[in-house]
Amino acid sequence: MSDACHPRSDGRATKIIDGAIVALVGRPNAGKSSLYNRVTDGDARVGNFPGITVDVLEAEAELPDGYGRATFVDLPGIYSIEAATDADTDEGTARSFIDAHEKASAVADAPPFAVIQVLDATRLALSLRLTRELASHASRLALVVTQADVLDREGLVCDAELLSTLVGVPVIIVSARDPAAKSAVLALAARLLRDPPRAHAQASSIDPDATAKKVLADKASVADEERARRSRTEKIDRWALHPIVGPLLFVAVMSAIFAAVFFVAEPFSTAIDRVTKGLGAKIGPRLGGGYLASFVNDGLIGGAGTVLAFLPQIVVLTVALELLDASGYLARGVFLVDRFFRRFGLGGKALVPLLTAHACAVPAIRATRILRDPKERLLTLLVLPLMTCSARLPTYSLLVSTFFAHRGPWVQSLVFVGLYAAGLVTGAIASAVLQRTTVRGRPLPLVLEMPAYRAPEASFLRKATARGVKGFLADVGTTIVVASALLWVLLNVPMPGAQRDPSLAGAPAAVVRVNNSVAASLGRSIEPVTRYAGFDWRFNVGLFGSFGARELMVGTLGVIYGLEDVDDDPTPLRAQLRDARTPDGRPRYTTRNALSLMAFFVFACQCMSTVAALRRETRSWKWPLFVLAYTYVLAFVAAVIVYNVAGWFTA
Amino acid sequence: MDSLSTLALVEDETEVTIRALNGDARELEWLRAIGLFEGQRVRVLRRALFGGPLHIRVASGGEFAVDRSLAKSIQVES
Repeated sequence: MSDACHPRSDGRATKIIDGAIVALVGRPNAGKSSLYNRVTDGDARVGNFPGITVDVLEAEAELPDGYGRATFVDLPGIYSIEAATDADTDEGTARSFIDAHEKASAVADAPPFAVIQVLDATRLALSLRLTRELASHASRLALVVTQADVLDREGLVCDAELLSTLVGVPVIIVSARDPAAKSAVLALAARLLRDPPRAHAQASSIDPDATAKKVLADKASVADEERARRSRTEKIDRWALHPIVGPLLFVAVMSAIFAAVFFVAEPFSTAIDRVTKGLGAKIGPRLGGGYLASFVNDGLIGGAGTVLAFLPQIVVLTVALELLDASGYLARGVFLVDRFFRRFGLGGKALVPLLTAHACAVPAIRATRILRDPKERLLTLLVLPLMTCSARLPTYSLLVSTFFAHRGPWVQSLVFVGLYAAGLVTGAIASAVLQRTTVRGRPLPLVLEMPAYRAPEASFLRKATARGVKGFLADVGTTIVVASALLWVLLNVPMPGAQRDPSLAGAPAAVVRVNNSVAASLGRSIEPVTRYAGFDWRFNVGLFGSFGARELMVGTLGVIYGLEDVDDDPTPLRAQLRDARTPDGRPRYTTRNALSLMAFFVFACQCMSTVAALRRETRSWKWPLFVLAYTYVLAFVAAVIVYNVAGWFTA
Repeated sequence: MDSLSTLALVEDETEVTIRALNGDARELEWLRAIGLFEGQRVRVLRRALFGGPLHIRVASGGEFAVDRSLAKSIQVES
């Protein structure tokens, strides 16, 4: 490496060695993600809830005065790096990240590493406690005090120069929502990276409260103003946390979110589906209309269409969760449900992953990292797959509209509410049982910061949503497409030695092909067992398809009946299911079969993306296999019970 | 010293000073880091129903939800 690339301390513009890293660290709610977005022009979201910035984000930024580029890293919000309980939690992640990079940068000629702590000016004394810890972990440390605008409104000023003198590290004051914050932080980073690393004896021995008191000064007699600002959060809390109104409001908000997922997402899903189907219809003929065309059409484009059809639901729930989080209401929800959750061995913070799981279990699994207690985290991971994720909805919709439509909209809605409730209740029971048997121990007592209410920024909401969508496409989308392609093969490759069914004479070629396929043969071979739950080989094939991704159930049933476009408009499939007759002329499926299939869907973890995510998160095959085993056993037992109990009523 | 009590017993809207924390050493470190340390002034704002968490405000700035069992292990003085 040439001399020109070495950091120098003479103050002249010197190019920083490539690969310089600047980590942003701070307490949750300190405005760190907001500042990070400002500096990197938007790659992270506002993390108002402890640790919702679960992934370590990074982005490059150009430093001023030709110093070159540096990578800015947004570490999860933490209170302490000394008191980290588990390497997999946010605090553990932050600590190992800092220690590892500090060590690596100590080697001669290694790229420099700097830590910038973001401090909330309105909670300066608390923030400085983290500064004291960071001082002994980072050899290049600077402070950025944010929320200067809020401080200003409160009539307080923060003396950056005095703070810098008292702590012994560079300090700047910014407002993260001010565009000028970017250049100020970049200049600070350049200065840090250029200067040689050093020990921070002074910073590691400060008295946080005394220091904060010294640097904050009243600008005028504005005690009234501060009371006014506080009173906004206080006023809202008076209702939001009211013993009776609070819980009711919480239930209302949650219901509104689920209703939105259900009703808002529906028309969008239909539109997206129509587009992908249209695409398939255009491409199919060009490929000659044979096996290849069928594979591309049904296997690949069909799979991709299924993925896209779920995006609206993911978007609606991601936006809703981000709004709850960024506004500060999520913490109130945790406060309200904590006592209730503890009955089932979980803590209130599990609300966040459990709520996320109603969109999709995969991001929910990542969201468990906000839980500091390893046991509570594992317990949450094990019951997450029981929540009613959006992938179950098409199957529920098909069954409810086929077998309950004649009973009126009220009964249909009730069945849906019942299905959501079934997920929650079984989750609670499973959690209580697992806590006493498999994952012993109580969760750590709740300690949660209640941030002041604030208005979320639209741009961060947008970016957070974009990241959620990207994550879904990468983690879940690929699995669905692969599962769809595999399923196509099983449904189209004929079983060697399969007998032609004489009753299929004159049926469409696709129907005959499916009937003789490997999948159909496998489905028939387990029929003697699944009969007890009311599943015939056709349902079984659907269940094979949904083993990879339960999204594929409806499409698979459609293929079996030789229909196209069932995802788009399930009316023909509905009619097929309703009119299907056994050889002796009785209806092949009744409400009984529908109920037992729904029961199966409530429990079974029919999602390889979830299994893969659990494997990633627990770093073992033990827990994902345990989840598969217990949910499938429960699913089958529940389906058999429901089928037989329903039989008494219909008999 | 007759005014020694635990945080769980403090009435709403009363300000007290934390005197001692009890429990696992690592957890205590974390509580101190978060802002619940000896000498901190604390005010209980409200409690959740059925023995749920306490909503408190600390003098250093910041509000927290604190589990009642934890509040029992925090000794305070009015």
